[in-house]
Amino acid sequence: MAQNPISANRVPDLSVQLGPLRLKNPVLAASGTFGYGAEYADFLDLRSLGAVVVKGISLSPRPGNPPPRLVETPAGLINSIGLENVGLESFLRDKLPYLCSRQVPVIVNIFGNSVEEYRELAARLDGASGISALEINISCPNVKEGGMVFGSDAKMAANVVGAVRQATCLPLITKLTPNVTRIGEIARAVVEAGTDIISCINTVAAMGVDIFTRRPKLANIIGGLSGPAIKPIALRCTYQVLQAVACPVIGIGGISTATDALEFLLVGARAVQVGTANFVNPRATMEIVQGIEQFLKMQGLQSLDDFIGTLDTRCLFPFAEEVCAIPE
Amino acid sequence: MPKFQEQALIVSQQQMARATYRMRLQSPLIAQSGQAGQFVLVRILDSWDPLLRRPFSFHRLFPREGVIELLYRVVGRGTLLLSRCRPGAWLNLIGPLGNGFSLPAADRGPVLLMAGGIGIAPLCELIVRLLDGGRDPGAIHLLYGARSAEDLLPAAEFRSYGIPVTWTTDDGSLGAHGLVTEQLGQILQAAGPRPAVLYACGPLAMQYHVARLTQVHRLPAQLSLESLMACGVGACLGCALPAVHPEDPTADHYVHVCKDGPIFSPEAIQWHKIQYQRTESPILAYS
Repeated sequence: MAQNPISANRVPDLSVQLGPLRLKNPVLAASGTFGYGAEYADFLDLRSLGAVVVKGISLSPRPGNPPPRLVETPAGLINSIGLENVGLESFLRDKLPYLCSRQVPVIVNIFGNSVEEYRELAARLDGASGISALEINISCPNVKEGGMVFGSDAKMAANVVGAVRQATCLPLITKLTPNVTRIGEIARAVVEAGTDIISCINTVAAMGVDIFTRRPKLANIIGGLSGPAIKPIALRCTYQVLQAVACPVIGIGGISTATDALEFLLVGARAVQVGTANFVNPRATMEIVQGIEQFLKMQGLQSLDDFIGTLDTRCLFPFAEEVCAIPE
Repeated sequence: MPKFQEQALIVSQQQMARATYRMRLQSPLIAQSGQAGQFVLVRILDSWDPLLRRPFSFHRLFPREGVIELLYRVVGRGTLLLSRCRPGAWLNLIGPLGNGFSLPAADRGPVLLMAGGIGIAPLCELIVRLLDGGRDPGAIHLLYGARSAEDLLPAAEFRSYGIPVTWTTDDGSLGAHGLVTEQLGQILQAAGPRPAVLYACGPLAMQYHVARLTQVHRLPAQLSLESLMACGVGACLGCALPAVHPEDPTADHYVHVCKDGPIFSPEAIQWHKIQYQRTESPILAYS
């Protein structure tokens, strides 16, 4: 077909720059919801994604929490997987080569029980080829040591990020928990400690009980809520983090459609991660990329940068001043 | 084996027993590659509530017609909504998922099948595959139990297979009075020809007893197990069951029903570590 010179038909530029990290589009698969990529390869072209964030990796393999590990809630899912993973060695040997061969940027989510373990993970991944960035998980609600304990205290969060920063030159993303009083304070602490990017949020601490058995629905009693139910909380956290710090932010939490993703971008996130929606629709990430492109065309925007962070909070209802303004 | 995400047309839906429905769907890609014992994930509504897809094993597969059949029991809101779907509507499916049954060599001895309640669902396709493989119908014995007569599929469903069926009900309203596992115990203790392999599907409580009996009597068995499930493809790791670690028997280890199963050998599972998972949720008025 002949090239149409009218700008509305041009393919808009979806690429985004997040500090040192450049992605061809702003849609990433979230850690823990996309396995190591291969699990979803039958359903979509992995190359269509901005990046894949793999399941959280620890130094040694972890068996995870006892089942039951899942509770379905209205528009939500509570999980207590407990960071079950194959461990660093098996990841580097069995999982990473596949993802690299599929030509999609790989972001490795890392998790440790101590600052020292985070540092060692970062140092060993620093030497591996084919990794675009690390995402530091200091926000998992499902493990007894580490996890959210680090992420809910500004000083401890900074200690982890500082140790990882010294161990690697890779772009660093720090994933924050919403289960804190002031997320902006944690955001400031991790930025000062050297994170390049913040991703928020991890799951919201939650619980389910059974009135017939009179027992908790999770063996772990408490888990983390994800899915569309938490999107408004995630949007608020993203907004508050952007108010507190100048570093690029990746929005996460209940994003299931292009509209959801665009809401986070409007608030100022430079990218988004899609999590639980992958379970409902394995093609969700790819369809969100297509939906964003369609929206930009519809709006006559040539680049996503023209839309990101353009939220106007001056006045909620400019109707009166714009439409009914009476000349003096 | 590739997995597919496919829009499937509901061809028919028919009530087969109390709260039990058989749904026929046009789903050519999945029908052509599915195996007995594998399953599909069904998106019930195009909304976020219920959020998760629901897993159902293949009740029957018609690869040439591009048709699959699911047999399910209404146990909660998801299956209740599914039972209200009408022919002509479309459902989004993912499949075929899981490992499926392995068929025994044709020259091996008699095959014993055991179903508890809705556990009959995957065994019908297995019976057809065994018969298609040239096995004598007389050498396939089905033990089929449920709470009550009205929970059982009609006998006519099995007539065309020509296989012997032993019926049991917990309340004695049809066939032998008692649990289907008691029948299994009697068969394993009887002097007659021993079955070469057992295939079983049913509630976890039944499978626990089946595992114990088959291990005591050293009968090879393939059990179709269930668990709450989210992704169906091994990504979320939610559908875990406690299992025996391949190297260290004392270590905590889990298998995942969606990817490692749903068919397991009884020796693979640490049955004493399973914590109760209720999959049936009575729906209260106004809730």
